[in-house]
Amino acid sequence: MDLVLRTIFVFFLILVITRAVGRRELSSMEPFDLILLVVIGDLVQQGVTQSDYSLTGATMVIVTVALLTVVTAWLSFRVRRLRPLLEGDPVILVADGRILERNLRRQRMTVEELGAEARLAQITSLDDVRYAVLETNGKVSFVTASS
Amino acid sequence: MTRLFTDVAADPEPRGEIVGLWTRRAVLTIFAAIAVLGLLDVFGQGTTQTAASTPAAVLRVTAPKAVRGGLFFQSRVEIRARRAIAHPRLVLDVGWVEGMQFNSIEPAPVSEASRDGRVVLSYDALDAGERLIVWMQFEVDPTSVGHRPYGLELDDAETRVASVHRWLTVFP
Repeated sequence: MDLVLRTIFVFFLILVITRAVGRRELSSMEPFDLILLVVIGDLVQQGVTQSDYSLTGATMVIVTVALLTVVTAWLSFRVRRLRPLLEGDPVILVADGRILERNLRRQRMTVEELGAEARLAQITSLDDVRYAVLETNGKVSFVTASS
Repeated sequence: MTRLFTDVAADPEPRGEIVGLWTRRAVLTIFAAIAVLGLLDVFGQGTTQTAASTPAAVLRVTAPKAVRGGLFFQSRVEIRARRAIAHPRLVLDVGWVEGMQFNSIEPAPVSEASRDGRVVLSYDALDAGERLIVWMQFEVDPTSVGHRPYGLELDDAETRVASVHRWLTVFP
């Protein structure tokens, strides 16, 4: 029983952590972040399965995680109020060509980083950007003045 | 090129997708059933208690009914003597030791022996009203899967005083 309960706890702990850390940090994987992710995975495994080497235990954990993933996705789809909590809201960074410094600060994002994202989107100057939105998956989408 | 889209649009609900959807739902239902069975302790490792009461003693065993490979667990044996037992002996079924790593036993028995393939643990004499609790710590050998007797007998020397019958399932 406690294996399933531990899995549920860890699932929601990771959900809270990912929401608290912020989408930018999780979408841009630097080598340090990647290593940290592996370390967290190992620590989580130890906490959940402990000394359990069994197939039954592994099945229970995987099945529970899969089920919780589906349940949270379904809740996010069905209950509009839960959506910001489970997935977050898109954050506007540039509105009508004006950079919203406050929103950038809240996302711990610099204008230079916004510029880098713009370059990746084949945009040559931030002056060309009409709208920029930090999406819930951590990517920045742009609408240029010409589009 | 446009045919790639028009072909898909011609059949917005292909049979394969409907079958796939119901298959996915069936699989998720099985997942839910496994998780619920896990919560209900079907796959271990919650403990249950089995007791036997006779005019001579009360014998109580608290242990899991199901465990999984690699798990650490505890079994607790409690004896409450109603009359003096000069030579208390615990006779363990094969499931107590088969495929188990015996990490510790407290208090340790005065002696260990074998009786017809069963392990016998001998303790000091118990007076009427005295209580003996034995804590045993185990780890499950992951290769020893099966369903085994996990009963226990309390003897006074060779005479049976009380016994409990249990089974232990080791999941793979």
